[in-house]
Amino acid sequence: MPLLSVFNDLLFGLGVALTPANLTIAVIGLILGTAIGVLPGLGGTNGVALLLPLTFSLTPTAAIILLASVYWGALFGGAITSILFNIPGEPWSVATTFDGYPLAQQGKAGIALTAAFTSSFIGAAVAIVLFTFFAPPLAEAALRFGPPENFAVLLMAFATFTGLGGANPLKTILMTLLGLLLGTVGFDIVTGQPRMNFGLVSLQSGVNFIVIAIGLFGLGEIFLTVEEGLRLEGVRARLNFKVVWETWKLFPRYLWTIVRGTILGFWIGVLPGTGATPASFMSYGLAKQFSKNARRFGKGEVEGVVAPETAAHAAGIGALLPMVTLGIPGSPTAAVMLAGFFIWGLNPGPLLFQTQREFVWGLIGSMYITNVIGVLMVLTLVPVFAAINRIPFGILAPLIVILSSIGAYAANNQILDLWVMLASGVAGYLFKKRGYPLAPLVVALVLGDMTEQSLRQALIMGQGSPAIFLTRPIAVGFFLATAFLFALPAIRALRQRGRPQPVEVEPELEG
Amino acid sequence: MRRAETLIALGLTLGAVLLVREALRVSISWTSVGPGAGFFPFWLALGVTICAGIILFQSLRAPAGANGGDRPFIPARAWKPLLIVFLPMAAVVAVIDYLGIYIGGAVYLGGYTWLVGRHRWYTVILVSVLVPLLLFFTFERWFLLPLPKGRILEYLLYER
Repeated sequence: MPLLSVFNDLLFGLGVALTPANLTIAVIGLILGTAIGVLPGLGGTNGVALLLPLTFSLTPTAAIILLASVYWGALFGGAITSILFNIPGEPWSVATTFDGYPLAQQGKAGIALTAAFTSSFIGAAVAIVLFTFFAPPLAEAALRFGPPENFAVLLMAFATFTGLGGANPLKTILMTLLGLLLGTVGFDIVTGQPRMNFGLVSLQSGVNFIVIAIGLFGLGEIFLTVEEGLRLEGVRARLNFKVVWETWKLFPRYLWTIVRGTILGFWIGVLPGTGATPASFMSYGLAKQFSKNARRFGKGEVEGVVAPETAAHAAGIGALLPMVTLGIPGSPTAAVMLAGFFIWGLNPGPLLFQTQREFVWGLIGSMYITNVIGVLMVLTLVPVFAAINRIPFGILAPLIVILSSIGAYAANNQILDLWVMLASGVAGYLFKKRGYPLAPLVVALVLGDMTEQSLRQALIMGQGSPAIFLTRPIAVGFFLATAFLFALPAIRALRQRGRPQPVEVEPELEG
Repeated sequence: MRRAETLIALGLTLGAVLLVREALRVSISWTSVGPGAGFFPFWLALGVTICAGIILFQSLRAPAGANGGDRPFIPARAWKPLLIVFLPMAAVVAVIDYLGIYIGGAVYLGGYTWLVGRHRWYTVILVSVLVPLLLFFTFERWFLLPLPKGRILEYLLYER
């Protein structure tokens, strides 16, 4: 029965996604997203945040389709800049530069691009199918969660940042706590008391998530790009059918890399708090370990493009699974989308599957459709998108600044928010330079209310005693996983003692 | 770089102490409706204080070469471009009451493309006129999202 109902729902969702209005919105989203992905200094997280105000006048279904399509487009677009310009357009395409750019230098840009797009498509397609069949049962299981279980899941989400984030664990924990703390500014939802506002009336409405996200990710990124001095020198590429076909013929031999990348990517994406970026790095590392051509990695090996791209897209899809089913974003970009849920008048959580059938299944249906349109679009329009990078940075930088200001203002119609945005831009720049990860702060900020409520309700259930958590088996399971994740950095440090330190790229958990 | 690590940790520690104090202004203990309003922020702020304190302590004890050593936190050549992006941005926000996003944006775009981007005068004019116009129609007309227009534009649009 359940399987059949999934097919029914899926057909319904495809129908929703295929209405002319929603289809148009998806294509617009894909084009905008690919452009955002191509442009360095304008990331997917920030891009989605900037477009959020434009969704206020749309229906929730159209709004989520727009934002999700922007995300898919940005995932595709990042690869173009990585391969042709050796500059990652997005953090999740850093690993794609390792082999993508050497290939382009050898005159094989077409092969690298085709390989990137095709493996992205396959990774996403498999992940979407996994999504379709995992989401409904997960939502159903989550419906049975009480406050103690909810709190345990949230805690585990925060622990993933520390365990798998790759940044300094102390700094990660600090940023998580800081994000939760910013969420408490304003007034207490239970008692109605104003708090943490330093007596300022203007802080009573709280700290706006979108404003902080735009500041940290948008302006912070601009400052970093300006500091490094951006120089774009691209390789030209043209894709024709012959190159595409030749590359596709190579694909069967990468079967295991693709399977590994997809499964790894999907689960890393599902884990709350980790997104496409760590997935792409891990998949690249694994492929290098298992490949017969390990020595060619980094010098222009097609497999080195296939591995990160498959995982990045699978993770991008996976990251939306906890967002839709539990109300917990799997990545910062998903966190921005989740902030949109509240604005559109939806209550994120497992109930969505029952109360908002059109919204949930429309989103799932649109994933299938935008993935197909997306891959065809990027395969045919590479030169057009690559040309976007010919917009000089001297025009692009002020443009991003203005769009950021508009996005920050429109979130709440407050001029004060522009100052908050500026301040968080500077903070984001300083934090990132000293290895304080930004993603935990953003995700914690959006989850702050939910975390506090579930903790307080659980404590009330236990009449003030935290022992309530130990009487709930599911919660205990999550706590054990949480403890393991928090201990992971220490375990890793112990195992590496005495061994030569490997040079590791520290992925910022963006995406 | 080392000094920056210490200063950032110091700033975070001091800020967190302030937040602990702020949390204590409301009840942090058990009340008739369960944990008080200050309960959650208090423990969070305490956690931030502890983390920041440890990072501060570690940075003070770190060997000379650690945390980027004596390399400057912001390279000398980067100061100028950074300030050129930031200061005008802050200036525009400061006078946004008068200029609004559209005129302010035009001034910022024009100034930046001209002085930093060193584009030709017709590019500068084209960009700083077309972009704000496009934004105006997108937000005010198509998406019906009123943005701050500033006193000057409001006067021109409605009061004349």
